[in-house]
Amino acid sequence: MTVTTDASSPDPALSVRNLSTVYEAKAATVHAVRDVSFDLRPMERLGIVGESGSGKSALALSILGLIEPPGRVAGGEIMLGGRDIAKLSDRELGSVRGKEIALVLQDPATALDPVKTIGRQIIEAIAAHEPGLKRSAARRRAAELLGDVEISHAEQRLDEYPHQFSGGMRQRVVIAMAIALNPSVLIADEPTTALDVTTQAQVLALLDRLVDEHRTAVILITHNLGIVSEFCDSVAVMYAGRLVETSGVDHIFESPTHPYSEALLACVPNPEKLAQGPLPAIAGYPPDLSSLPSGCAFAPRCPVGRDIPQCHQEAPQPHAVSGPAGPAVVECHFAEARIREASR
Amino acid sequence: MSRVVAYRLLGSLAAIFGASLLAFLIMRVLPGDPARIILGPLATPKALAEVNHQLGLDQPIFAQYWHYISDFFTGNWGYSYTLNASVSSLFVERFPATIELALFSFVLTMGAAVILALLSTYRHRPVTDAIVRGASYIGFGTPPFFLALLLLIIFFKSLHWLPGPEGRLQVGASEPPAVTHLFLIDSLLAGQLNTFWESLRHMLLPAIALGIGSFSFMVRLLRANLLEVSREPFITVARGKGLPRWTAFRRHALPNAFLPTLTSAGLVLGEFLAGSVLIERVFDWPGIGSLVFEAIVKQDFAIVQAFILLSAVIFVLVNLMVDLLYAVIDPRVRIPAVTSA
Repeated sequence: MTVTTDASSPDPALSVRNLSTVYEAKAATVHAVRDVSFDLRPMERLGIVGESGSGKSALALSILGLIEPPGRVAGGEIMLGGRDIAKLSDRELGSVRGKEIALVLQDPATALDPVKTIGRQIIEAIAAHEPGLKRSAARRRAAELLGDVEISHAEQRLDEYPHQFSGGMRQRVVIAMAIALNPSVLIADEPTTALDVTTQAQVLALLDRLVDEHRTAVILITHNLGIVSEFCDSVAVMYAGRLVETSGVDHIFESPTHPYSEALLACVPNPEKLAQGPLPAIAGYPPDLSSLPSGCAFAPRCPVGRDIPQCHQEAPQPHAVSGPAGPAVVECHFAEARIREASR
Repeated sequence: MSRVVAYRLLGSLAAIFGASLLAFLIMRVLPGDPARIILGPLATPKALAEVNHQLGLDQPIFAQYWHYISDFFTGNWGYSYTLNASVSSLFVERFPATIELALFSFVLTMGAAVILALLSTYRHRPVTDAIVRGASYIGFGTPPFFLALLLLIIFFKSLHWLPGPEGRLQVGASEPPAVTHLFLIDSLLAGQLNTFWESLRHMLLPAIALGIGSFSFMVRLLRANLLEVSREPFITVARGKGLPRWTAFRRHALPNAFLPTLTSAGLVLGEFLAGSVLIERVFDWPGIGSLVFEAIVKQDFAIVQAFILLSAVIFVLVNLMVDLLYAVIDPRVRIPAVTSA
């Protein structure tokens, strides 16, 4: 399942620098995404994990330029195919969305228009970028795509409506629309969360095969660390709108360096430890994104820094560290110390 | 599907039965003796009994109801003693004016509601939105006949822009050759552009007065639906395919927002067809409404009784049509869902 990433290729498929997104209401400004930077290599699979409200979905929509008022992207660069798409107008972005970056959303029940046939919705994805395409050719392509996502009798099912498909099938249709034009980047926002476990595994396996075949890089947004370990090459842990730890998957599972990553990992149910009592949970709540503390956003809940004045006063900068299972970038004052501790 | 139709038909029949019962009973308990009204105060008891017998009023109440119902559905709606004509012929004569006003007002109301709902929701426009909501409050809270008078004072009396309460055309003007009996269409068919223009001008104020309440209602309903639908994930997905904002909105938000308002649109049309009594009165519009108003004043029971049942039938038919329309255009009604497999 691991993909050999081509280290000799220096150009990332997608490069995000200092991206910030705010929602401006009368009373307060919510900082949903704060100064986020990361690179996505061609064919890399990056998992972004975090609690609800940590800004994962806002990050996905920001990259696609789909933040709706009162929200807006407040700053940053999004380099894709050699240009900064954050500077493009909405109309210009139209030729990027779907063709170079595609989107798969969480809930397949609401991701398809209930009153349009599946065929029309797939053809729409193709025709948006190939205006001269003939109807019959578009239909043939759509049927092929349905076959690609392992839906049988594709030709007939094109004329059916979303309510005639099961949840897993609908998500396959959404994936078919997303890969229709061989995008170089696919952003999947919790693509399997709304599905039952068996269907989850099938959809994930399908996604795995397709992004391999289409040579697509993936940003997989999820709160399920199990899916990350199975599917991703690298992982970014998001907390209060920032990426607090970015590394290869091995590093996160072997020596999570940020105290939040460690806490998140401790919350994953482990069958061997279930007998030992209730599942651990991270004490406290994520901070209010409209009035953030001046120091580390995790400090009030942090088992390490809760009582350390520096953590409450000074926002930690990204520290590049090298752990036993590979390098990582960690936003914590104690990153190096914790790595040393873990290596002992 | 056929079960849905059968169910709806049964419901429609029940509604008409209920309305007929109500109309029948109300007319029986209201004060005033029909025979006395027809014959005048000096009639002898013998003559009164004679007329009562003619009208069937000496029969048992169930028999009276049976006659009333069967007569209604065979087109025998009684005789108007004040106008010396059969009620059905009066209705046939008056109905085109009411239909034309209702349809015109319906188109105007729906058009305005759709456009304003779009303006206030497509993109973030707080000021437009506030104006639309404010206007709909005023339209909601103003009685139509009062608004009608207000419109007349402004546009007829002060500004002289539009004609006063003189019916469908100016006094003495000749009607266009009757084909559909709708002046707007007939005048166009005959190529009488001047008549078309005059007929349009005459219809504008009554149509606005008739439609303003329903407009306020529809614009709020559409606005709420559009707001809700435009937040649906499938709009984001459509935009993610690379569709321009307006295309995604038009193709995916509009149909999904309008579909659930069909029912209300049906109610509005029914109301316009059956409920324009006061508006027709104010504008001297020669439709069913004016006829019924006069009939009420003169206690001409046959007309009122037929009107109540007729408006119930119109309402039920329009709504039945809307229900059937859903089955045709909404795939979720037309095609059964497949249980998840």
